[in-house]
Amino acid sequence: MNTILIQILGALATILLAFIVGMFYGGAHRKVIARIQNRVGPPIYQNFIDVLKLYSKETSINHGVMQHMGPVFAITASITSLMFVPILTDGNWFSNLNFSGDLVFLVYMMVFGSLGMALGAGQTGNPNSAIGVTRGLSQMVGYEIPFVMAMVALMTQFHTTSITGMIAVQQQSGTWLMFSNPFAFMAAIMAMLGMFSYAPFDIVTAPAEVSSGPISEFGGKYLGMMMTSGSIFAFVKLALFVDIFMGGASNLVVLVIKTFALYMIPVLYGVISPRYRTEQAITYFWKWPLFFGFIAILYAAF
Amino acid sequence: MNSLILLLILMFGGALFAFILNKFVPALRDIFVVLLMLGVSYLFFSTGISNRLNFDVLGIHMQWGFTSASYLFGIIVVVLGSLALIYSTAYMKGKDRLGYFYMNFLFSIGAMLGILMSRDLISLFFFWEIMTWSSYFIVIYSGNDVDRRGLKYMIFSAIGAYSMLMAIVIVNSFIGSFLLEDVFASIFAIGSGYQIAIAILLMIGFGVKSAMMPLHVWAPRAYSESPMSYTAVFSGALSKMGVFGFALVLFNLVSTQNWLINEVVAWLAAITSVLATFYAVIQSDAKKLLAYSSIAQIGYIIIGLASNTYLGVMAGLFLAVLHAVFKSTLFMAVGAVERQVGTTDMTKISGLIRRMPWTFVATLISIIALAGLPPLGGFVGKWMLYEALITSGHYYLVIMVFLSSTAAFLYSYRILFGMFLGQEEPEFAHVKEAPLSMLIPMLILSGISVLSGSHPGFILEPIQSAMASFGFQSNLPHESWWELTVLFNTWGDKVALVNVLTSIVGVFLIALAFITIKGYKNQRYVTTKDISSSGEIIQPEDNMTFQIDFYKPFERAIWPLLKRKIDDYYTDFGKGLEALFDFVRRFYNGNGQFYAIYVMAFLALLLIAGTKYFGF
Amino acid sequence: MYNDKNAQTIVDYIQNFTRKNSLFMLAYGTGCGAIELPATLTSRYDAERLGVRGAATPRQADLLLITGYLSTKTLKRVIRVYEQMQDPKYVIGFGSCTINGGMYWDSYNTIKLLDKYIPVDVYINGCMPRPESVISGFQELKRLIAAGKADGAKKYKENLEWYRENQKKVLKNWPLVEYNW
Repeated sequence: MNTILIQILGALATILLAFIVGMFYGGAHRKVIARIQNRVGPPIYQNFIDVLKLYSKETSINHGVMQHMGPVFAITASITSLMFVPILTDGNWFSNLNFSGDLVFLVYMMVFGSLGMALGAGQTGNPNSAIGVTRGLSQMVGYEIPFVMAMVALMTQFHTTSITGMIAVQQQSGTWLMFSNPFAFMAAIMAMLGMFSYAPFDIVTAPAEVSSGPISEFGGKYLGMMMTSGSIFAFVKLALFVDIFMGGASNLVVLVIKTFALYMIPVLYGVISPRYRTEQAITYFWKWPLFFGFIAILYAAF
Repeated sequence: MNSLILLLILMFGGALFAFILNKFVPALRDIFVVLLMLGVSYLFFSTGISNRLNFDVLGIHMQWGFTSASYLFGIIVVVLGSLALIYSTAYMKGKDRLGYFYMNFLFSIGAMLGILMSRDLISLFFFWEIMTWSSYFIVIYSGNDVDRRGLKYMIFSAIGAYSMLMAIVIVNSFIGSFLLEDVFASIFAIGSGYQIAIAILLMIGFGVKSAMMPLHVWAPRAYSESPMSYTAVFSGALSKMGVFGFALVLFNLVSTQNWLINEVVAWLAAITSVLATFYAVIQSDAKKLLAYSSIAQIGYIIIGLASNTYLGVMAGLFLAVLHAVFKSTLFMAVGAVERQVGTTDMTKISGLIRRMPWTFVATLISIIALAGLPPLGGFVGKWMLYEALITSGHYYLVIMVFLSSTAAFLYSYRILFGMFLGQEEPEFAHVKEAPLSMLIPMLILSGISVLSGSHPGFILEPIQSAMASFGFQSNLPHESWWELTVLFNTWGDKVALVNVLTSIVGVFLIALAFITIKGYKNQRYVTTKDISSSGEIIQPEDNMTFQIDFYKPFERAIWPLLKRKIDDYYTDFGKGLEALFDFVRRFYNGNGQFYAIYVMAFLALLLIAGTKYFGF
Repeated sequence: MYNDKNAQTIVDYIQNFTRKNSLFMLAYGTGCGAIELPATLTSRYDAERLGVRGAATPRQADLLLITGYLSTKTLKRVIRVYEQMQDPKYVIGFGSCTINGGMYWDSYNTIKLLDKYIPVDVYINGCMPRPESVISGFQELKRLIAAGKADGAKKYKENLEWYRENQKKVLKNWPLVEYNW
């Protein structure tokens, strides 16, 4: 009984941590964009205010039960993935279900949310939502392939498919995997640009083209839940990349430093970029990232 | 009487009786076929795998009986057959020539059972032909052979049958027996070249039925044009006969020295699955989409079998069972939509979710299983397949599988959106939920999909005994898989399915409760015409659903791959042959004088050549 | 929720604080006023530092900004958009045209006073109002929200009959959709 209680408390702490860190990173993203555009920008805690406001806003309408469940699917995927990603390398407090799933599972778990969300968006009947969804799914086919290639390269190189196994490899050898297999890191980072769908890959929610795409019928608590889910999910992705490529983190400060450094890659790449068309985005991922992925697997296997 | 003979007599006799019954008492026909099939199922399950029947026909020794491998496929056949027949009774109501339909339906199920129970090549071939013919008759059930789909199916089946026959003859000329046991025992004694030839010829035969590239061109039309209640069996069970054949060939007739065959088959299957997935993505008809998706999914199964690792074969067989479950559900659901709405063209249908909620639920569950998302059964199969390929060093193959299954999300979403989501149209306001006898089979099958996600053991148990009969020994950390809900690979990495399920369901329920309770008082439904559309007021008759050219950007990105269809190559081949025959016809122009000239010329040639080379 | 400041509980206070500091703005760019918005939102004046950011659809928006004159044809779209927004929602009338018709005061097909058709919380005077005045309009709205006095939506719900009557006067032959939230 006691262990279950501790587990639940640990899970809640993890969720809270992911939420807070993700929210602050979202604020930092806006701040960075503002500073690069020579603006003051919103305060760094602006996203908290936004989410609180969205939850306090009245949301009395929906277009059916799938729309009602769409954000729930999204947050389920985010939190479940979070449970399977090791946050800290040692200590039991944040190790929720780290040993119960591996990378292949996580890759699938991470698309679960967007598909559930897509169902919700589909039921609204808004043509922009459906267009946004098709864009998002097409782009996903683009970036999943180099990402998976990088993962397969690492798995074959170190004969483990679990994330904890990869952390252990890095702790034993003392080198981060981004140096052990730099090609895999290149491919994965380029895929990460697509995963975050910041510019130039923000084709899904492009406000000027498809009026924010899948979320165009979602307001109030639905949008609030999706923002929550989005910031948790951003943290999940960053923590996963830190675990795999940067040797994990031994305490929270290191974790924040590493994830923030990683987070700045898509942010800074995004601020100076315009937006791709969908097929350009797909072919972007199928050129250099794919090449690096091939080299990474060759490098790992031979 | 031996229960195996009783099984076949019941099936084939019952099929004929159904035809006669339909002539005289059509009212009893439906009840008869369903009861017959249930009786056969009962008989099948009471027949053990140890039951062997030996007899001689025309001096050829034959043997019938189930092995644990064929028993596994037999379970698929009888379960799907029974459910599809129950479904048929409502789906086919009011259509013509039902006696013909049910006769061929029962014939093909009986032939499938026959294939599975035959332990010698002659009866295998015999039942294979019955299966081909009965399925051909159902493909051309509607009477007119649009686009020559039936002809295409027949030609490819004939090609397959001839190569099988050739292989059987070669085998017999070396071994002198048709019994599978003898063949398996002494196949490796004959020359390696002949071994490969036999394997390839048999695989052409089985590849046609399992719709493997480049032998798949018949499949999309044949699947999509036969009645959906039969397609559920056609794609779910009948194509698994090809898989069963592949398993026999790959595990028993190909020695480990010929690993190249495995690699080639795996790569062909991978290319099949990628290309078929891409074609499925760009379809706008639900039936054709599912047909292409079937081709792609059988690609995974064969990759698993050809990987020749314990986990891979297990993944292949698991996916085979699961594909039978979810794909037949999907075909049934599409059939339900077709029956209730009248079309399956996704550019015309939209917003059926509130009209046909249970069909939607069945489709949703099957689509989740198809896409391989946790926590349903499809994930278990996909996970095992990936881990098997990664741990056995098929690095680029696993990328192909990933590409194909990621692109599968696209058509998975398409089929859900195209039929059930989107705007609710007044023209579909009258649509009712499908009748209960169509819903129950669908929901039973979706229930199996759900259950196999957290407790795959009940499917893995028969699979493991099937694999033992194929000669695979477990090299995994755990022997008794069916007791476990944790999947392991050979490196010791794992997925704990119950933890996954608990986490997903727990978080889902909490979040759902939160979002439902918050502001529950004011919650109300508004129609899908009430959407933000830059202030424009959408009238009920305006259809704003985005349906046409759904994945156009994706299509543009993959266009270089789709420019040439395999079908075109066959057409070109046919045209080339026609041109050749045209050319030949110039000589045989029916004019007697020309023939006289040919005779003269030949004589002259003979004279000249004869004096020069043969010296007379 | 919409009480006066003295009766505000701590929950109301927090709610109003978040509402005033996070305004998702749907800019209904009619007329010439829309050109002032890019300047307001971008580097020079940067409204985002005040928590004002653009929203793409009425479902997500809190604040409807009407930037200029409204012809009767546009008016029905504006009403539609306003009715699709979720409570609490605010309207800012931007420029003289929304107050008295501005230079279109004698036009046959523009409305003169926006407040007769949808409830306006804040007017920004001027033709054109410069970005500074737009920002001061935002600040005024924030002050009203903090005081719990930006209750246009409530007024609209209570006086729906009156608003509908006015709307029907100018929108001939228009089947108005029921206001259902």
